[in-house]
Amino acid sequence: MAELTSPINGKVWKILVAVGDKVELDDEMVILEALKMETPIYSEENGTVSEIRVKEGDAVNEGDVLVVVT
Amino acid sequence: MTRKQTPLRPYFEKMADIGKALSEGEVRRSQENITLVQEQEQILALEVERVKNAGIPAKKIHERGGMTIYDRLDYLVDAGTWSPMHTLYNPRDNEEGCTGVVNGIGKIEGKWAVIIGFDNKVMAGAWIAGQSENILMVTDMAKRLNVPLVWLTNCSGVKMMEQETVYAGRRSSGAPFFRHADLNHLGIPILNGIYGTNPAGGGYQGISPTILIAHEGANIAVGGAGIVGGMNPKGYIDAEAARALIDATKSFKAKDPGRVETHFDHTAYFREVHDTEKGVLDGIKDYMRMMPAYDPTMFRVAVPAPPRFPAEDLNMILPANQKRPYDALQILARLTDSSEFMEYRPDYGREVYTGIAKIDGFPVAFIGNRQGVFPGYPEYANGTYPAVGGKHYRQGLIKQAEFVTLCGRDNLPIVWMQDTTGIDVGDLAEEAELLALGQSLVYSIEQTDLSMMCVVLRKGTAAAHYIMCGPQANNNNAFTLGTPLTEIYVMHGETAAAAAYARRLVKEDEAGNDLTPTLDKMNQMIQDYQEKSRPAYCGKTGFVDEIVSLTALRKYIQAFTGANYQNPKSITPVHQMLLPRIIKG
Repeated sequence: MAELTSPINGKVWKILVAVGDKVELDDEMVILEALKMETPIYSEENGTVSEIRVKEGDAVNEGDVLVVVT
Repeated sequence: MTRKQTPLRPYFEKMADIGKALSEGEVRRSQENITLVQEQEQILALEVERVKNAGIPAKKIHERGGMTIYDRLDYLVDAGTWSPMHTLYNPRDNEEGCTGVVNGIGKIEGKWAVIIGFDNKVMAGAWIAGQSENILMVTDMAKRLNVPLVWLTNCSGVKMMEQETVYAGRRSSGAPFFRHADLNHLGIPILNGIYGTNPAGGGYQGISPTILIAHEGANIAVGGAGIVGGMNPKGYIDAEAARALIDATKSFKAKDPGRVETHFDHTAYFREVHDTEKGVLDGIKDYMRMMPAYDPTMFRVAVPAPPRFPAEDLNMILPANQKRPYDALQILARLTDSSEFMEYRPDYGREVYTGIAKIDGFPVAFIGNRQGVFPGYPEYANGTYPAVGGKHYRQGLIKQAEFVTLCGRDNLPIVWMQDTTGIDVGDLAEEAELLALGQSLVYSIEQTDLSMMCVVLRKGTAAAHYIMCGPQANNNNAFTLGTPLTEIYVMHGETAAAAAYARRLVKEDEAGNDLTPTLDKMNQMIQDYQEKSRPAYCGKTGFVDEIVSLTALRKYIQAFTGANYQNPKSITPVHQMLLPRIIKG
């Protein structure tokens, strides 16, 4: 199981996956927005998206779990 | 037993590896980026083709048995070394679509030179608007790099119908003659191959260089023979005056003054005369072999080696989406020998990297913006906001100024890799002295006598475009390159629109008015910023000296480096360099 966490304080701009989606290593999962910059979050392993803990527009803090891949 | 080695081998032979191969995922998700880069390259390629076809068709020159400027360059310059500059430059939007000169850096007989020639397809090489600025950028380049300037003169003089755009003024078409004198004064030779008819301005283009080599049909003169009439008391041309002009022109038999029989046989200004166009170029090659140049062994610190990763990766690593971050060292790893880099103070001023790399075995300094978000930094913000890559903060500015100063001491040419959105702003930033530290970096650059080149990878914005040795660094910047993803503007169009219209929006909103007209103006402004910051516009206006593909960047860095080490005016013995020792600690 891999928990993808936010590396920064920011806002969830786009969620590019849904629960049940098969993902591969380095697939783009979520795009955060902070300070006019986009910060993409990539899958760290092959697997299935089992949980999405945020929704678009949410404010997130550094270390918050965004997506769980199993 | 004789033993030989490169100097400071323990420092330079093997430096720290940087970069890594792209993962399958990175390659997969970057395919769209490649397409976006290629779209821009296609736009630029069409523009380059348009410039090359300016004027009369090359076929016509060929039918007359002549060579175009492009034929001449092709014959003169060593294969694979031509690095064109100012190709799209046309700041006054001339009807010719160019400034009538073709120039760049290349090797002739194995030696680097700055090379420029009149485009003889365009009004027989006439002076047209923007041309003198183009020439001045070229003479500046030869001066900065301390390499010979090679001219291929073929200049018919002022375009009479537009004389007011070229003749007078501080940086007008007369200024290059003073620059030629300046280069000669500094010991930088100018070799001149002379073709065709070169009256008046063309005559000074002909006479002002160091060595003159003429084609048999060439002439250089104070004035042309073609002026058969002049002012008449009427102050205008009527039918009678026109008839006189027609008769005079028909009976005009005089040859152009300043021909070979004068300036070879009589005055002996011309060192050589050749009966073929190629012969003139062979003469230039002969003189290039006489030019001063150290063997590279003198300054190399390692055996030249290509990067460990393919240059084509750059089209995947550098995001076309300007809001996307990337790993700046992944870019550098596709440019430096063996993808190695000796980084200076990596843990201080993390928003920029500074350090030494090797290009063709020569030591070269690199400074560039890192990208991404840096939580917990800058220290003076006390956690109120994080640093973002592309911006400059206190530590980064101090580090760059310090590094530049040490490069000056060690005589290391610097390559700047700009992708910058500006310097941090606000009260905290002012208290952290960023205004003064930005100017301190400018001061540090100016205090060196180093040659520098600048690459605006993506964004060149705000004062940060200046302080990172942008083209405004007139005494140090040899040239500036853009890429297919370059954007140069004082600030992003959206930021500018907000700054310009925010108060008006408030006013209209409070008055209960429709916001649409203001929003339209804001969006028009954003669009305008977009159009006037794109690569082709940057090339046309001279924001950069050339737009090059990402895969060609290393070639230009090699030209810059090789030219710098060809005949340096100042030498730091490698074993006495300080920076490698400071980095090692």
